This record gives sequence, C-alpha cells and structure tokens, in this order.
Amino acid sequence: MIAPLLAYSLVGLVLFYIQNLALFPHVHLRLLGLLLFYVSLRPSLSLALGLSLVLGFLQDSYTTTPFGLHLGAALVLVAVARLSLRRLHLRQLGFQVVVSLGALFLQELCLQIGTFILGYQPFYSSTLIRVHLWEILGTAALGPLMYLLVQGVENFLRRLGWRPPSEPLPYQPFGE
Amino acid sequence: MHHQGRYRTPLLIVLVLLLVFSILSLSLKHSPAVKKVQGVIISATAPGLEGMEYVSRRIKNIWQGYFYLVGVKQQNHELERQLEEYKQREVRYHEAQEALTRLEGLLDLKRQVALPVIGARVIAYDPSLWSRCALIDQGRAEGVKDGLPVLAPQGIVGRVVEVYPEYSKVMLIVDGKSAADAMIQRTRVRGILKGKGGNRCSLDFVPKSADVRVGDLVLASGLVGLYPKGLVFGKVTKANKKNPGVFQDIEVTPSVDLSTLEEVLVVKVANLALSGP
Repeated sequence: MIAPLLAYSLVGLVLFYIQNLALFPHVHLRLLGLLLFYVSLRPSLSLALGLSLVLGFLQDSYTTTPFGLHLGAALVLVAVARLSLRRLHLRQLGFQVVVSLGALFLQELCLQIGTFILGYQPFYSSTLIRVHLWEILGTAALGPLMYLLVQGVENFLRRLGWRPPSEPLPYQPFGE
Repeated sequence: MHHQGRYRTPLLIVLVLLLVFSILSLSLKHSPAVKKVQGVIISATAPGLEGMEYVSRRIKNIWQGYFYLVGVKQQNHELERQLEEYKQREVRYHEAQEALTRLEGLLDLKRQVALPVIGARVIAYDPSLWSRCALIDQGRAEGVKDGLPVLAPQGIVGRVVEVYPEYSKVMLIVDGKSAADAMIQRTRVRGILKGKGGNRCSLDFVPKSADVRVGDLVLASGLVGLYPKGLVFGKVTKANKKNPGVFQDIEVTPSVDLSTLEEVLVVKVANLALSGP
C-alpha cells in the first residue's frame, strides 16, 4: 500500500501546487477531492483512507477552518465512492462522473453543516453559491481525465513491479 | 483468519472516524500538537510552492518582456544582436520598475506607520472557498508573532493567525472569522467589520439613523488595537436601510485586491497609531 499511497500523495501535492499557482484566484476546482474519489474506486480501502488522511491534512494546513474539517469531508467522498462501488458496481465512466457529482455535492453539504456546527459562519450569498455550484460541476466534468490519471499512475507502478495485494502474482514456471 | 478479514474493514472505519473526531476536538481546543502537525506539513510543502512561485514569476516576466518586443524586426545581423541585448535589458528594466513601484508603495507605508515593520512575500493562498488566508515567507525566526497586523500600500490585508519557523499564516479581512472595529471616515460612525468570504466584508451594528453612503471610506478605528488607526479597510459598496431590524446592511469591498497580493508589511507591535497629520 505504501508505494501507491506515496505516488497518489505526490500527484495530490502536484495538483495542489497547480491549483495554488496556476488556477487561483480565477479558476476554482476541487481536484484533490476528485483524485480521492477516483482512487477510492480502486479495490484497496486502506489506500483510500490513507490518501484521505494525507490530502485532508494538506488542505487543513492551508486554511483557517479547524484542523480536521477537510479530513472529515474527504472521508465523505471515500464513503460515497465505496458505497457506490459495492451497490452500483460502477464500471462505466459516465456513471462514475454522475456519482462523483453527487459525492461532491454531499461533501459540500457536509462542509456547510460542519462549519455551522463548529461555530463558523457559513458564507451564504447567491454569488458564492453560484461559484460553489460551478466549481462542483467543473470538477465533476474533469472526471474522465482524473480516471485516466489514476489509471496512468497505477500502470506506471505496475511497470515498476508493484501488484495490488488482491491480484495473484504472474505465473512463473517452476525451475526457471 | 476469516474472522480477522471480516472485522478488518469496520475496525478501520471506526479507527479513522475516531482519529477525525480526536483531531477536530484537539483543534477546537487549540492544542499545540495540532499546530505542530500543521507546522510540519507547511514546512514540508511550502518550500515547493515558494520555489515554483519564483520560477513561474521569472518565466512570466521573461515572457511578458519578450512579448512586448515580438513585433520589432531588424534588417541586419548587427542590429538583431543589438535588439537581443535590448530585449534582455527591457526584461530586466521592466522587472526592476515593477519591483520599484511595489517597494516604493511599501516604503511610503513604512514611513506612514511609525512602528517597526518587516516586509514579506506572499507565497501561497488557501485555494478552497472555505476560508480566505495567505501564507507569507516570514516566520518566528524573523520575529513574527500571532495577531500582528499585515498591511499593503492600499490598505489593511489581515492579521497573522499562525506562526511557523519560516512561514506565517495570515487571515485576510474577508475571512469569515475576521472581525475588527472600524469607522466611516466621513461621519466617524463606528461598526464591526466582518469578513463575508469571496472579496467582501460587512460593516455590522451600524444603526439605521447613522449617515452611511455608497463610496464612503471605511477605516480602522484603532480601538481594539488590532489594526493601525486610520488605515483603510475599503469602501462602502452597498448601504441598505430597508432590511428588517435596527441595524443597516452595509457591504464593504476591501481597497486591497486580496487575491493578487505579492509583497506585504507585517507590523511588529500591537496597539498602533499613525504618525503625521
């Protein structure tokens, strides 16, 4: 689990840098959330939880909201992804995009409720709600690209000799 | 073996949930351990941001400098060589001029504020919409402390909320947690300036009888000692008396563009006053 966790954390860090240096303040996207959602669709639950810790801590370190809030919100994405993987057997990319959209909306709702419960005044304004809406729609639309990125990282790791624990080792004839 | 596998997933989920709630509870109690973890994460990731920000700024400057001169054509090799020289000079000149303008503004402000200040560069922002804060490249090592005000030539930026060895986190005045005593310059009416996210603030607790107009300047009153008295927060962009209740609904837009900050000043002491008239 360590190798994929390191690889996906590194991808997350690069996405965070891109978001901070290239996209902010003109484009708002939840690339880390999307990455986490697509990684959660992979078989390993421990990898998804590990990555949610890393990305949650990273986001929490750069905000003024309580430490742990983004971590909790990241777990919502993992939960939705895992549940839909079990119940809906997500295979088609279009279907995954729709579910990621739902997961991002649910995450937004949880963040709103979380900030409210923790005594933070949520930002209710039509402009900001519109920005949040476009942010979520834009992020979900990037789903196929994120799927390719996650797949690409896994293929790269396989080329380096890594195999998921659930997958049997390749056949090696006895004596060779 | 089978039982172990069966209980592994629920156990993992319970452990993670316990971890989240413990972290949240520690964070709400302002535990030093949480601050330490934050400090470690920021110290580990911010140098990368700082380096990439520097490289992108250099590339941008060179690209912009070159772009200005793309239309220029020369007839012979000697002139082309000279042009290349001028291109390089132009890039350096533009860069120096831009830096000079920014630093002159900061120097003016430094003269205005009769207090010790240190210059800092903004290296990162919180890209999420959940809070509005920025990371600056000056930390505990340079004498930055919690609560110190941060200024830009156009006005007040915010205040330091977390200090790490080499970096500090600045809560911008538009952050939802930000609140400060403020007054309208024209009428001296006071209120509490609160962050509303995005790029807006509100001036709360101003009675409907008070005279507030769109375009009025909102200044720091200096009463709580958070920000230097008389420095600008922003301008009134909306004043509504038709809302229910006894107070007006006043929207303030900061005078500083808080999304494109580059250099800022950190005032090194609290309880501040402006020199001069």
